[in-house]
Amino acid sequence: MIDNFSILLSHALLALAFWILLNRADLDHEEPPPPDTEPEGFRVKRPDQYREPTPDA
Amino acid sequence: MRDLVFVGYLAAIMLLAFKRPFLFTLVYAYVDIVSPQRLSYFLLNSVPLSLILFVLAFLGFMIGDDKRDVRVAPRWVLLLVLLAYCGYTTSVAAEAVAALEKWGWVWKALVFAAFLPLTLRTKLRIEGLVLTMVLCASALIVTGGIKTAAGGGGYGSLVMLIDDNSGLFEGSIISCVAITIIPLILWLAKHGTIFKPDWKVRIYAAALIFACLLIPVGTQARTGIVCIAVLGLLLLRYARYRMLYLGGVVLIGLAAIPFLPSSFTERADTIKNYKADESASTRLAVWAWTWEYVKEHPMGGGFEVYRQNRIRYDMAQTANLGEPVPADTPDVKQIVDSGRAFHSSYFEMLGEQGFPGLIIWLIIQIGGVWRMEIIQRMYRKRNRPDEAWVAPLASALQNSQIIYLVGSLFVGIAFQAYFFMLTALQIGFDTYLSRRRKEAAWRPIKSLRSTQAEIAA
Repeated sequence: MIDNFSILLSHALLALAFWILLNRADLDHEEPPPPDTEPEGFRVKRPDQYREPTPDA
Repeated sequence: MRDLVFVGYLAAIMLLAFKRPFLFTLVYAYVDIVSPQRLSYFLLNSVPLSLILFVLAFLGFMIGDDKRDVRVAPRWVLLLVLLAYCGYTTSVAAEAVAALEKWGWVWKALVFAAFLPLTLRTKLRIEGLVLTMVLCASALIVTGGIKTAAGGGGYGSLVMLIDDNSGLFEGSIISCVAITIIPLILWLAKHGTIFKPDWKVRIYAAALIFACLLIPVGTQARTGIVCIAVLGLLLLRYARYRMLYLGGVVLIGLAAIPFLPSSFTERADTIKNYKADESASTRLAVWAWTWEYVKEHPMGGGFEVYRQNRIRYDMAQTANLGEPVPADTPDVKQIVDSGRAFHSSYFEMLGEQGFPGLIIWLIIQIGGVWRMEIIQRMYRKRNRPDEAWVAPLASALQNSQIIYLVGSLFVGIAFQAYFFMLTALQIGFDTYLSRRRKEAAWRPIKSLRSTQAEIAA
């Protein structure tokens, strides 16, 4: 009885989740992310680390 | 009757999957975790269900998916190296027949774990896999939780769906799984988009977490208690008011003790009194045997090599409460045993796959914890509204992984498909994010202009 309830509940929710996924376009294709407005990430130099290019560069 | 329902159910969700082939991957995960063929008596038993679904998932990926988005990570390569290495040790295994039997399910788990990250190309797919893993585990956890709450359970006697001691149906393994999914449930309840976080989702999530916490009580698996303690410590990191959180946890813990069955508290007590506990003494003896074994066989003995052990150990004698102690009782009792399992994933890897296998496995596991740490720090710093879901998922996956790594100190679950799925999820999540970061990367106006000029030319 408890087993059947547990199976029913989990399987119903899983089926519902699959049904929702089926109708979502972003399952297979996503829009590209909005571009960063400034440099991001660990390797980004702080403004004071930027060096002016030398004239012969 | 149950057979017909399962066949009908599977047919229905497979029909849905023909429209969106990625769903075959999720259906395979469902079959792998819940094993509906073992819950039924005749119809599904006779069909190679996993094989059919894997072929469909693979074909779906090959035909329907855009392979330009596919990225691989170093840990993905290591999964394949581990697969090849396990294949090699199986071919030279000390216990040839038994090794072949274990290889029969290990290679499937590893191949699926290697396949999974290739398919996780969108955020919704990542969320879909998290949700599928949680809901599938809930099929066992809900019934175990209710039975425990109703006063059932006991070590080795809490039956969840079927009386079987393999896969997730084994007490210590489901206890560990139940606690590892709690961080994922918390993430779904806050950041889910398939089931949007409203009051219904929150109530269900709270009830499911409660059931998860009851599983170690019901199965009386001490591993689960250790896992709960680790979870409590890990959540402390993210608590805003730490002292309040600590006070609350202690209060709830103390309040729960009177409600715990006495058999549970007695068993939990043996954690500190391990010298007089046969299970703990066996473990220490098996681990010592494993260490000696790999010193002679550094490449490992192949799967199931523990069958060769013959161990002898001393166990401290303790008197039962209320019983008179005979004067001639020796202080220690000598126990002789053979073919005892590893009872630890680390020693399982070491004994079966030797030092190379253990090192590869550790890099895969600890690499996951490390990558999730990097991701959550990076995305907390980026702090973009469209990426608000990223750092919490990274920390949830990291917490799950740490709980698994601590739990597996005492249970041999190094090759459990469920945890390889967790690793695959991390790899897919990681490669997805690095691709999206590249797509969104800031480019200076100068280089934008030159690109435009190139296009114009």
